[in-house]
Amino acid sequence: MTVRSLFSLLFLAAFASFASATSDYHESLVLQPLPQSALLASFNFQSNDSQESFDERHFRYFPRALGQILRHANTKELHLRFTTGRWDAESWGPRPWNGTKEGGTGVELWAWIDAVDDEAAFAKWITLTQSLSGLFCASLNFIDSTRTTRPVASFEPAGTHAALDNLHLLHGTLPGEVVCTENLTPFLKLLPCKGKAGVASLLDGHKLFDASWQSMSVDVRPICTETSDCVVQIDQSVDIVLDIDRSKRPRDNPIPRPVPNEQLVCDTSKPYHSDDTCYPLESTSEKAWGLSEVFGRSISGSCPLTEGSADGAVCLRVPHEREVHASPGAVEARKADGYTRCFTLESSTPFDLMIPEQQATAQVPLDEPVLRAERTIVGHGQERGGMRIIFDNPSATNAVDFIYFETLPWFLRPYVHTLQATITGRDGLRRQVPASQFIKETFYRPAIDRERGTQLELALSVPAASTVTLTYDFEKAILRYTEYPPDANRGFNVAPAVIKVGGEHPIYLRTTSLLLPLPTPDFSMPYNVIILTSTVIALAFGSIFNLLVRRFVTAEEASAMRAQTLKSRLGGKIVALRDKIRGKSKTE
Amino acid sequence: MSTKNEDLSSSQTVSAHSDHIMTVSTTSQRPPPPEKPEAIRTRFKVIAAFWAVIIFLGFPIWWKTTSIYRASLPIPDMIDWADGKTCRPVFPLEIRVETPFLPEPEAQHLVRTTQHTLDDLNEFSAHHLRLKLSNDNGDDPLQEPADTALTVRLLLQEDLVNPKSELQHDTTQLDVYYTPSQVPPLSSVNPPLSAYIAGELQQLFTEEKAIIAQILSDSPATGAAATSQSPSAMLSSISPQLAESIAKRLRRSMKYADTYHLAFSLFTPGAEPSSWDIQAAVHEYIVPLLQAFSPISNFTVDTQVQLYATFAPTAPAPEYDEEHAAWTLKPEDLSAFINAAEWPLSPSIGPGPTINFILYVPEAAQSPLVVKDSLATSWVVPQWGGVFLLNPANSTQLRHLSREDLQTAFLTFSHQLLTLLGAPATPAALPFRLQTLTRIRAASLLLSASSTMGSLARLTESLPSIPIPATVATSVATTLSHLTSACEHLRRGRFQAALADARVAETAAERSFFEKSMVGQMYFPDEHKVAVYLPLLGPIGVPLIVGLLKEVKKAIALRKARQVS
Repeated sequence: MTVRSLFSLLFLAAFASFASATSDYHESLVLQPLPQSALLASFNFQSNDSQESFDERHFRYFPRALGQILRHANTKELHLRFTTGRWDAESWGPRPWNGTKEGGTGVELWAWIDAVDDEAAFAKWITLTQSLSGLFCASLNFIDSTRTTRPVASFEPAGTHAALDNLHLLHGTLPGEVVCTENLTPFLKLLPCKGKAGVASLLDGHKLFDASWQSMSVDVRPICTETSDCVVQIDQSVDIVLDIDRSKRPRDNPIPRPVPNEQLVCDTSKPYHSDDTCYPLESTSEKAWGLSEVFGRSISGSCPLTEGSADGAVCLRVPHEREVHASPGAVEARKADGYTRCFTLESSTPFDLMIPEQQATAQVPLDEPVLRAERTIVGHGQERGGMRIIFDNPSATNAVDFIYFETLPWFLRPYVHTLQATITGRDGLRRQVPASQFIKETFYRPAIDRERGTQLELALSVPAASTVTLTYDFEKAILRYTEYPPDANRGFNVAPAVIKVGGEHPIYLRTTSLLLPLPTPDFSMPYNVIILTSTVIALAFGSIFNLLVRRFVTAEEASAMRAQTLKSRLGGKIVALRDKIRGKSKTE
Repeated sequence: MSTKNEDLSSSQTVSAHSDHIMTVSTTSQRPPPPEKPEAIRTRFKVIAAFWAVIIFLGFPIWWKTTSIYRASLPIPDMIDWADGKTCRPVFPLEIRVETPFLPEPEAQHLVRTTQHTLDDLNEFSAHHLRLKLSNDNGDDPLQEPADTALTVRLLLQEDLVNPKSELQHDTTQLDVYYTPSQVPPLSSVNPPLSAYIAGELQQLFTEEKAIIAQILSDSPATGAAATSQSPSAMLSSISPQLAESIAKRLRRSMKYADTYHLAFSLFTPGAEPSSWDIQAAVHEYIVPLLQAFSPISNFTVDTQVQLYATFAPTAPAPEYDEEHAAWTLKPEDLSAFINAAEWPLSPSIGPGPTINFILYVPEAAQSPLVVKDSLATSWVVPQWGGVFLLNPANSTQLRHLSREDLQTAFLTFSHQLLTLLGAPATPAALPFRLQTLTRIRAASLLLSASSTMGSLARLTESLPSIPIPATVATSVATTLSHLTSACEHLRRGRFQAALADARVAETAAERSFFEKSMVGQMYFPDEHKVAVYLPLLGPIGVPLIVGLLKEVKKAIALRKARQVS
């Protein structure tokens, strides 16, 4: 129930805008301590501009740069994700936003484009990626036809669209893209209050990209209410999981240091306990932290554009009995669920939160994820390999139905006929079963070399309390010399798989991205080839030419000739020179 | 080396197996017998065969496989255009004279005498006015008629001491009022009414003439021509202030484009005002102007609101001026006013330049904000856009800018837009200024396309290694043909048609000059080729060349010997 309540809270913040007004701006920050001294911070910024003013290109809250790109690329709905790190579902539970706002590692982009046919849609898609690449300082322009897919069942449009028949969904990923400050700066520029006021003032590149996991998202969609006035909504969110201890380190002195002896809490019952020996006890109290400590700065007041919205801007999810000190002026409101309190900020008054160290009380319970998924490359050697995907259904009673969507680069050639499934129950017994037992539907689009990648979408069902493992073999293609990237020996990134669970309000999971080692040539090869073949040709040519052209004489004759020609000539010259010098000296 | 050993060993085998009398003597060293003529001939044939293969097979293959495609361009034509040898732009302006209250012969006489006076006044032959009676339907019905630059209506008005003229604001029409007594008799040679009309016309077109003269003299093609009626002569005759202001306007105005993107931005350092009545303001103050401009260019309009827009940290902060009770910006610091790094003023997507208009509302603590000394609140950023500082009337901050608040700003913006588009400053009538702009644009496009042709011609001649795709040749052909017809239209006074042709010519010229595939070859340096060819050509080339040289030497020696004998 509890994590559901987190979602409902997040969704409440998200959907509050529908009810309140058509042209508004909302922002919120939800903080939730997670086990192992992690802290989840979910920032959300949402603004609406009316469709009419959007069409007339009068941008108020909506960023003009992005609006122009969308118009130019005929894009009706856009979803863009920048993610680094791995969401540790084992200890952190399900994802915030149910996975709808987090992407796979790297950059993920999907959009619904209005176009007459597939070709026109793809041309617009290229325009879109090129322009977004410039806007967000990311290599989105590398999303070419080999990295573009058209998912069939994995994504549904989130906005209201009048004519769905002309909309084309295109999806592209860049698993190797490193997300960093240069992407955050343009992201913040899109916000009406920039990073200068409101909760966005906490976002600092140094802290954000030092996090264990972080994800930035931009979603644009049109929303029409029953009264037929439409708005274009841009929803930006930043979710980060920080390590509190790590973040609390001062920036000028970030090296971790051992705890001084006198501050160590030791187990004195141990027989070997003495002044210089200590068995450290696990701390039972919860750590103290504060906003300015963790983020390096405090919130510089609320963004004035949010005035009038009833919801608190900053929400903290800790048990109600936990002591929390907020800056004066902020209005605290506790929610009935027993774990949530929200603070309404005042404009132009800095806001800070301090959570002192306190003996551990109840924890905010985390929900069990609906599905766990893991995907790895197995096998060895340069030529072949295999893919193994493990789905674990933790529920003891319900089977889980989902869509599994993966895109493979063209140089990874899967053999779908080798697709095999094993099922492991809670008893630990492995059984080989036909894959068709779990796979209800398959959509497979094979790769074309250098043109498009493999697209595989499977509708799967995993029975309760069991683990299903899918495996298939693949072959690694050999690339052309110029197709290797500069860091070819690092391996090639394979995009994360996307898993969509449920129908109406789907939950999304993403596996980690994979690294595929390919046979890499020695890159000085062409020059070696040129030199070697030249040498061989020169040798062959030289000896044949000499055989044909040279005159053959005996050794004696040769030496006689040499004596006659070279030696005598040289000798003569030397004599002449000597005579000359002597003659000269004589005349002097 | 190895060849020597080879020689040695093979010579031994030869000596062992041959029937020749080659006695191996260790004591006396005898030179070998002279070579047989067959052996010499065979060697010559071998070397000739090798060279034949290289010259007739190897070289053509190498040439064919490494040559780059260069479409043939009409280089002399292009250079002629650039040098102004093909076309000398002239601007014969047709002015219709309507004389509703004058009988035909008198009207004709008036027109004739006025034309005469005009011709005497004009010192710039490229730009001249041609009067025509409105009922005179032209000499050649097959010829497309020339555009009417201005209509002069002669209207009768009693109780006037001197004739009076009035330029209509919404049409290109000049009303001239006269009394019946001023109608010149048919016999008069230089009647005062004609002189008056001629003077008025001359004055109306002074600025246009000056601008065109400036454009022509700036261009190397037409500026150099040193005739008495040359543009530079024209320029020297006008007042230096006017020349200076025209040169300034020309420097400020944007380059001509098919489409301009206008971006109106509201910037404020705080959070307020965060909304403005932009839709109404644009509709009221900007759209009518853009509609008037539609024959010349197309426009798109974007607007945005940007809060928390602070100055760049390097920009000098405004200073408080006690005397005027205002915050002042130094005129020399205005270039640093726009924080290009942080303010989202990215150019619009799509072809064509973006013109930015910035409405800056200073925060209450720094209001009013003006430019030092001149106390101006707006300025034009040359070839980029305009800035307007909107100081709220009362010191309290505005949350919302209504249409009334925006009025001054948008009137300023429309004025700045005219300046940036290159329209002349006088006279007040907008249709007249647009007509002038048509001619100015036609002239500048014609010259710019011609000079692009010249640059392309020089480029292709100076870089023999760049490829010239067929598309470039097509574009060049399009440019030249449209330039020719633009020039012809200009000569016949059809300026709209000339502008249309010049636009096409300019687009095609730019396309041919900025052809992408022409650039690629530049990055393949000659050192690279040497690195690839040398390992192969070194070991093969040296024995071949040495062999050839020896043969040649021998042949020369033989010849000499023969001559001696």
